[in-house]
Amino acid sequence: MTKEKKLSITIDNRKVAVKPNITILQAAREHNIYIPSLCTLEPLPSYGACRLCIVEVDGLRGFPTSCTTPVDDGMVVRTDTAEIRTLRQEVLKLLLSEHPASCLFCTEHDECKDYQGTIRKVGVTTGCRYCPNDSLCELQTITEKIGLTETSYPVYYRGFPVEKSDPFYDRDYNLCILCGRCVRVCNDIRMNGTLSFKERGKQTTIGAALDRTHLDAGCEFCGACVSVCPTGALSTKVSKWYGKPDGETKTTCVYCPVGCELLLQIKNNETIDVFPNYDSTIDQGLLCVKGRFAIPEYVASPERLATPQRMTPLGYEDISWDDAIDEAAEKLSGINPEDVLIVVSPQLTNEDLFVAERFARELIGTDQIMSVLITDMREETVSFLNLASASSPFNVIDTADTILTIGFDSTYGFTPIGIKIKKAAKAGVNLTTLSVHESNLDIVSGETFQMNVTKWPALLDSIMGKMPGNGKGTKLKPLNKVVVIGAEVIFSPKRGAVFEKIVEMKDRFGWKVIVAHPYTNLMGLLAMGAFPGIKRGEIVSDGTKSTGPAVEDPLSAMDLARHRKVVYLIGEVPFENLPECDFLIYQNALSVKSTRKPDLVLPSSLFTELSGTIISAEGRILPIRKATDPYGKSMPDWQIISKISEKIKSGALKYSSISAIQTDIKKQVKSLSDVKKRLEFRKISAKTSGKGRTGKRLSDPKSSRKPWEEKYRGIALKDVVSGMLVIEERRRHE
Amino acid sequence: MPETIEAIFKKHGRTSDELIPILQDVQKEFGYIAQESLKKISRYLKLSENLVFGVASFYTQFRFTEPGKHAVKVCLGTACHVRGGSTLLDTLERGLGISCGETTEDRRFDLERVACLGCCALSPVVQIDRDIYSRMSVNRLTELLKKYE
Repeated sequence: MTKEKKLSITIDNRKVAVKPNITILQAAREHNIYIPSLCTLEPLPSYGACRLCIVEVDGLRGFPTSCTTPVDDGMVVRTDTAEIRTLRQEVLKLLLSEHPASCLFCTEHDECKDYQGTIRKVGVTTGCRYCPNDSLCELQTITEKIGLTETSYPVYYRGFPVEKSDPFYDRDYNLCILCGRCVRVCNDIRMNGTLSFKERGKQTTIGAALDRTHLDAGCEFCGACVSVCPTGALSTKVSKWYGKPDGETKTTCVYCPVGCELLLQIKNNETIDVFPNYDSTIDQGLLCVKGRFAIPEYVASPERLATPQRMTPLGYEDISWDDAIDEAAEKLSGINPEDVLIVVSPQLTNEDLFVAERFARELIGTDQIMSVLITDMREETVSFLNLASASSPFNVIDTADTILTIGFDSTYGFTPIGIKIKKAAKAGVNLTTLSVHESNLDIVSGETFQMNVTKWPALLDSIMGKMPGNGKGTKLKPLNKVVVIGAEVIFSPKRGAVFEKIVEMKDRFGWKVIVAHPYTNLMGLLAMGAFPGIKRGEIVSDGTKSTGPAVEDPLSAMDLARHRKVVYLIGEVPFENLPECDFLIYQNALSVKSTRKPDLVLPSSLFTELSGTIISAEGRILPIRKATDPYGKSMPDWQIISKISEKIKSGALKYSSISAIQTDIKKQVKSLSDVKKRLEFRKISAKTSGKGRTGKRLSDPKSSRKPWEEKYRGIALKDVVSGMLVIEERRRHE
Repeated sequence: MPETIEAIFKKHGRTSDELIPILQDVQKEFGYIAQESLKKISRYLKLSENLVFGVASFYTQFRFTEPGKHAVKVCLGTACHVRGGSTLLDTLERGLGISCGETTEDRRFDLERVACLGCCALSPVVQIDRDIYSRMSVNRLTELLKKYE
């Protein structure tokens, strides 16, 4: 660190050394001196709206607000004099003149906190719970600290109806004190602009244009406004009345390969809410709707499987784990490798995938480890993997001078990438958007192309040709060009031709590529070798220029039309083109509604209930941390596989703890041992087999053109999380 | 024939400080800020529609609904108030079946209240379009409205 000249100031008779160019409020906070404030919101610049942070400064007239006054050498500041206290009380009284104050000034105030909060009508002594934010409220804390015990003004109740029509959060603007934090976080941090002040004076409210719903106004439902609200005006629907959480667990989101940090809020051994971590170096706290709102409802879904079940002629019966393991082992032991298909989900942890891969290759003796991305990507699987494994870290956007997005929309996912792009575009970086439907980045882009995917390759050609520095002999500085590809191209049946162009842009013209795909732990799946033709650790680069594996088109190599004796689904649901089988083992967390009913159901734990790691799209190894106990009798996937293996062949795959697996991974996947470093991946190339296509051709791509939807472990989020249904509909109509 | 919104944009730069001048020109040309205009202004200045609306709704000079054929303004300044301006407003609200700031269903009249029209000696005053009517009474006002089609 460079030596910065520190300034010496006196706060409340304490001499402290502070950095220059900060405000008095920041200086006081650094030295744990309390100054109340309701409108400050780091890292945004000072706002000076609430007037609660007033202080006395020698030589300055009146009472300046400490959040807008910079420190100066030799400054003498007093933060808590009798006069300031009276003034603050008066300011707070005025603030509260439009805020229902019964929770602040009530004769039973102190006793009330000891009473039980309940919304049931039963004969217990209860305290009032009329505000979802009770006991979590900044306004309550500040009223207490300022020492205000009564107010002399009548409270003006504005009588707005509570706005409940949007998914995920409710808005009661009768409680709003117009501090402006939500407006600033929405516009300046999230770069979204759904919220703004409307009208003026007494009529001022916060919301979207023309009384539109937030959904219509382009809200991302990131919940940033809910997190920063100092009152109970904004509250999360699902966790509204839970009260104060008992604990918090930092973990990683598993819904997409960005790998955002999550702060799970735990109460009574349940995940009740999720907060962003603004200090995260991965996502800067810029969660999307899935991470912020779609987790508590998924992990506590009524569809969760609690016990192992067996199909009988009379329907499913609950069985013990021992019986279930015995049954699975009996079906799988001694089976001909060609008669079994093991399907893994790319949303499992590295540890699950490692154990599953060893189970398939070492115990069963098959290389055919199926995953849904093979049937999603079809003939383009190898070129998709090639692009995904060459994906650049997201911070290349910060230094880019040209950005092109192809079929990418960050409204309901990949928000950290989307916001980076928006910031770059606002700073003057040349942004071009290409999509079929309107994208949320169109508003900031320099050039917008909206057309059918079939026309994209030709357009990409012209973009490549136009780029300065591409012509022969020109001695221009190489440009920092970034192309971001999203769901519209990845899930288009015409993706092949577009992929080819992007590979050309990457290899010939040096474009950096970011692939916004939904397969959370795709890199972990490849690194663990849970993919046909790729060995454990083979794709992780050791720094040398050696080439990666050559992979045969898995779709033709794996004869999916052939009937199997056993299909073992690990964290996946039966999907299209899955081969027919005599016995279907379904190992997942939620029950499935499919035409082919599983014969054996094994309940898995979800990511809030277990520990492990995943590898993000950027090649970072990120931790999953256990926050609550497993649901019902469920177990982590690796443990179930390990138990089955034990029955088939004793000692073959015996793991009793996650750390034992991690030690083995470090031993067997050498390049993974250095956890701090970002992993680089080798290039995956296509290998043409001499055999040609074996077996029957799968159904034509046209028939499987079902629109893509957000899924976790094969289950569509919209089927489990009520608000995601609205989001999914919106995403498709646009 | 109103000039197009694109023609208005040509007269202004694409920086956010042009927002109010653009809104003023659009209001002048079309009589109000339509949803469609809101969207186009938002795209032109790269500001969200909600932000544009937030700014515009701060000022009473901007309106978001198509204006009626005739603008009726009732003065409620001190002098007019003392001589019964609010009774006139009440009469109009009841007679036209709308409240202040709204437009009748047949789009004939807009009703607004103003603070002072600067002719207090003639109070109470009602303005319809560009004409000022002084020393108004409920009866005269009812007769007067019939003249406007």
